[in-house]
Amino acid sequence: MAINITMPRLSDTMEQGTVVKWHVNAGDTVSSGDVIADIETDKATMELESFDDGVVASLAIGEGQKINVGETIIILAEDGESVEDAMKSVGVSGSAAASAGGSDTPVPQTAPQTPSATAVAEPPATSNSSGNSSNNEDRVFASPLARKIAREHNLPIGSITGSGPSGRILKKDVEMMIGGPAVNAPTAPVASTAATAAPMPAPLPAPLPAPGAALESKTVALNTMRQIIATKLVESKTTIPHYQVTMSARMDSLNNLRGELNEQLAAQGVKLSVNDFIVRACAIAMHQHPFINSSWNPDSGQSSPSIQLHGHVNIGVAVSLPEEKGGGLVVATINNADQIGLRQISSETKRLAAKARDKGLAPAELTGSTFTISNLGMFGVEHFTAIINPPNAAILAVGRAIDKPFIEYDADGEAELVIGSEMSMTISSDHRIIDGAMAAAYLKTVKELLESPASLLV
Amino acid sequence: MTPTPTTLPMIDTNIHPAIEAHLDMPAMLPNDQLPSFDGDRIIQYREALREAMSEEMRRDKRVFLLGEEVAQYNGAYKISQGMLDEFGAKRVIDTPISENGFAGMAIAAAMSGLRPIVEFMSWSFSFVAADPILNNAPKMLYMSGGQFGCPIVFRGNDGAGGQLASTHSWCVEALYANVPGLKMAIPSNPYDAKGLLKTAIRDPDPVFFLESERMLGDKAHVPEEEYYIPFGQARLAREGDAVTLVSFGRPVHFCLEAAERLAAEGIEVDVLDMRTIRPLDIDSIIERVKITNKVLVVDQSWPFASIASEVITQICERCFDWLDSPPARLNTADVPTPYAKGLEYDYLPNPDRIYEAVKGMMG
Repeated sequence: MAINITMPRLSDTMEQGTVVKWHVNAGDTVSSGDVIADIETDKATMELESFDDGVVASLAIGEGQKINVGETIIILAEDGESVEDAMKSVGVSGSAAASAGGSDTPVPQTAPQTPSATAVAEPPATSNSSGNSSNNEDRVFASPLARKIAREHNLPIGSITGSGPSGRILKKDVEMMIGGPAVNAPTAPVASTAATAAPMPAPLPAPLPAPGAALESKTVALNTMRQIIATKLVESKTTIPHYQVTMSARMDSLNNLRGELNEQLAAQGVKLSVNDFIVRACAIAMHQHPFINSSWNPDSGQSSPSIQLHGHVNIGVAVSLPEEKGGGLVVATINNADQIGLRQISSETKRLAAKARDKGLAPAELTGSTFTISNLGMFGVEHFTAIINPPNAAILAVGRAIDKPFIEYDADGEAELVIGSEMSMTISSDHRIIDGAMAAAYLKTVKELLESPASLLV
Repeated sequence: MTPTPTTLPMIDTNIHPAIEAHLDMPAMLPNDQLPSFDGDRIIQYREALREAMSEEMRRDKRVFLLGEEVAQYNGAYKISQGMLDEFGAKRVIDTPISENGFAGMAIAAAMSGLRPIVEFMSWSFSFVAADPILNNAPKMLYMSGGQFGCPIVFRGNDGAGGQLASTHSWCVEALYANVPGLKMAIPSNPYDAKGLLKTAIRDPDPVFFLESERMLGDKAHVPEEEYYIPFGQARLAREGDAVTLVSFGRPVHFCLEAAERLAAEGIEVDVLDMRTIRPLDIDSIIERVKITNKVLVVDQSWPFASIASEVITQICERCFDWLDSPPARLNTADVPTPYAKGLEYDYLPNPDRIYEAVKGMMG
């Protein structure tokens, strides 16, 4: 039987991987432990070792190509098996395989690509890769004790690199990630923005310190989440040309509508937040401004840079995690936010925020956003700017709505002073994709939707 | 008129015989209240066994010893040396070469109120007595509805004795420990040999007491004062933090030897001497595994369905989440015991194999 080696899941959050470089060609003999390819994940470029012995029958994809976790990347003929037999046993004709191997033809990109080819969030996990090969790609090997400690620290086991036999994660590996018993590591990574999210009560003012109380000087080891936040945001801020555009929206109509809806829906246990309306407005505005809902495909060496417009609108909502969970933040993803109503957005946001703070989100709930919203309004913030959450092209920083004096004109053209509610929104955009006018146009659409909120209902 | 049988006393008490026997048990003390393990009263393992039997025979007239060559020859292995002179031919009894016969007779004596000690020259010879020792003794209390207990000790040499070849090198612990109703002790040193044998003689249930001709000449401190070692109370023979070695009987020495070599390389291991297999002190194992997170069971019986298999199963049941590596076992090789000296050494769970196994677990 031929040996099918599939794209391994090299990190907890990995859904796709790119073969950056092949170390073998068709016809080469491969032994267990040989490095066969460099695989780029969402976090790092790692060496992939073969877990089996055999002869390379076919490279299923070319260098620079990205495929989903679990799909075949290379087929090996077992000892004594001819290449033709190996190909037959996996249902591929020999000539087809030969043409696929080493092909220079870029495959159409169907998903966002990460901007960096060499992000190093973790050391190259060669041992981990062997533990995840072939039909075991979903299984993370860890000792029962390592799992127990990771669970107690709310640390996703898949984010840890194992040093034991077959890449098994051991106690010492988890302890290294925790950085000592005092530091609690929080939920899953894939964090990004400089902010926090919607349904969280504003914190109580801190009590005054006792007279003479001194701050403690100490070094705090980074937990996984903090490491990933640091790596991703430095990468984002240093490689993406950010600029900001701010616009304000009158919130009086929305506030009235929201009050009315919540009053009518209270019996059903539904309570819409301002943030739910913002998510909805941002999502449906994408239909007029598809470039806001896109990703930058970098130069892969095989194909020149391009812009990926997404066929779905997944809105990421930054959720801060409580101190006792180790702090940090995650981006919870509300999928197809343009296709679902306010009520679903509301319940999904509440569910994800509660789950993120309680026990952590699953990888699928953390990845795949196409646009991110960060809302610090509940902390009294009026205006701020956020850092783009790759591979998004833009992020919206939302402040609190405040009452202000406005001059309005009545039907006779008479000016009058009225009190209105106004909310500031600041979009940070990737100038490689979005020009200033495009950002302004998008914000104008969002503003109009928020100011005529009936359109968000239908 | 049918005559009333007079050989057995009428049951005229409501006290369960097993409970009554327990009322007769001496105080069982935890390890830290037992006499010191170290000291300068150095005697041989065989002498420790003899002291235990002699003390109990002086204390209790119901206790007697029977077996092949135990009396006039002073014991095939000189364990019972001098006992015939002290206790006389009615209490130190030479038997024919007929394990089935004398084991069955002793069981009947135990059921009738005596306290026999049966010496098998080797446990390898006990198989001809399998029906009485396995099918009668351990089940007697149950089968008689509590009317008859079976307070008996079967003792003898167990394991490879040194080039005795396949049929005379049996380790019976895995085979026999499978049977409910019996107890099994397997002391690794003179101190335990005496303390455990005294407890075995006092115990109301059949006790299978496993010695080794390779240890009979071992010398160590045995306290002057009387002491009983409780069953189901392991001893931590060496304390470490890297791996817990669980063993019993002769392989405890292999473990200690391997531990010395490992310590020279900075690897400190636990050596837990179980002392008894039934009851098994699983609590002490769990306690240590929670500290070291790694366990290697060193067992001189064959691997398939061995004591090691049982220990590891219980570890998995009780403290799976504390394991940082697969619980491991080291048994004799899964073949009949070889005769050749070098092969016999390689077959046993010897210090070299233990050393390698621990190194493997440390990665």
